[in-house]
Amino acid sequence: MKPALYVALVLGLVPLQTSLAHYLSLGGVRPDLCLVAAGLIGFLAGPVEGVLIGIALGLTQDLFSAGALWLNVIVKGTVGLLAGLAGRQMTNATLATFVVTVGGLSVLAGLVFLFMVRGGGELSDRLAALPSILLPETLLNTALGAALYWLVPFRPSGEEEMERRPIGLVG
Amino acid sequence: MLLLCVLVLSLVFVLPKQSRTLLQSIGQPLAQLLSLPLTVFASLDRGVQEVWNGYVALYQVSEENRQLRHELQVLRGRNNELRELGVAGQRLAAVLALKERLKAKTVAAQIIGRDATNWYQSIVLDKGARDGIGVEMGVMAPDGAVGRVVKVTPFTSMVLLITDPNNAVTGLIQRTRDEGIVEGTADGRARMKYIPLLATLQSGDVVVTSGLTGGFPRGIPMGTITRIDKAEGELFQSAEIVPEVDLHKLEEVLVITDPLPVGDEREGAGGRSGSAPAEARP
Repeated sequence: MKPALYVALVLGLVPLQTSLAHYLSLGGVRPDLCLVAAGLIGFLAGPVEGVLIGIALGLTQDLFSAGALWLNVIVKGTVGLLAGLAGRQMTNATLATFVVTVGGLSVLAGLVFLFMVRGGGELSDRLAALPSILLPETLLNTALGAALYWLVPFRPSGEEEMERRPIGLVG
Repeated sequence: MLLLCVLVLSLVFVLPKQSRTLLQSIGQPLAQLLSLPLTVFASLDRGVQEVWNGYVALYQVSEENRQLRHELQVLRGRNNELRELGVAGQRLAAVLALKERLKAKTVAAQIIGRDATNWYQSIVLDKGARDGIGVEMGVMAPDGAVGRVVKVTPFTSMVLLITDPNNAVTGLIQRTRDEGIVEGTADGRARMKYIPLLATLQSGDVVVTSGLTGGFPRGIPMGTITRIDKAEGELFQSAEIVPEVDLHKLEEVLVITDPLPVGDEREGAGGRSGSAPAEARP
């Protein structure tokens, strides 16, 4: 079940992002579905699955982006890894902690893109990207992540989370 | 009895006048007598017909109404489809006309998506390496330049739009023949940089491709100058450009696979006039 879901995500999410995500846009900025998916999977399933699905999603995203073919691989893989670590570190993984995690990772990813993509441009262009791209994208990612976390059927309960924690990285 | 009947009937023939008078005298009161039930039955028939037409037959009207509404919806849908086909036909005709007018080799492609991130202004085309598309090829619409191909897969290609800050194409001011570099800006417009200080620009001047870089032949309209920035002490001036093409409403484009010389801006897209001589392919 889970591998099939992951394959479907990798094959379907980027086409969804390029063609239909504009229906969820805010001021012309769309949510980053791959970031949200990598963060959600990492947070719920752990850092290994998070980083693997993040790399796979990042690669497909890079294929349909004008940027270099490694940038999203690194960023989305890191997002999956950090979300997984955050999920393991949390005493109690809740909607609020996930929202904070996805929001923080979205800002971090946005800053990486701002530096890498707009780094050579004028300072005014870089500063303009903060309210015009980074902020709305973070808001959309957070809102979408919260909705998906709430909807996801296999998120662990409090007890399961407590049972899961000792075998995590924190031990 | 039978004999009596035959006798009466034969009286009609034997005494026609008398028998007719007799029959009339008997028939008139009978007719009056019968008129009452006849009226009642007639009114009853009208009532039944009214009830049938007004109520029972209304079911058919209702059904007919439902069918007509359904047909109306279907026809409206078809009408919209035909309108859409008409608009698409106009667009495709414009693309075809441009393709025929342009001497460069081109491949028509449809836009199937936007960049997978928010950090690049690029579009995804439904044609790729298998259709002869390669990196650095210019992309244009009937109104002017769109961008250049930056990434190719066998079946798709990514086009970085001229409004992306990472894009740079050499441009030529059509009226003054001054060259510069056209780059995208963060607000979705473009800016022409490195224009000589002595160039006499004015708002409304059209910027076209110079043909030197970017996979475009010379003379493809890029945009119109809306603002000129001439700072004190700078070696060059710059100008803000509004792209000629509405990049948000694009649906079909032409990828220039071989930018052969087009001769003159008069033969370029958009039919703008110019005075540049024919130039060899870049």
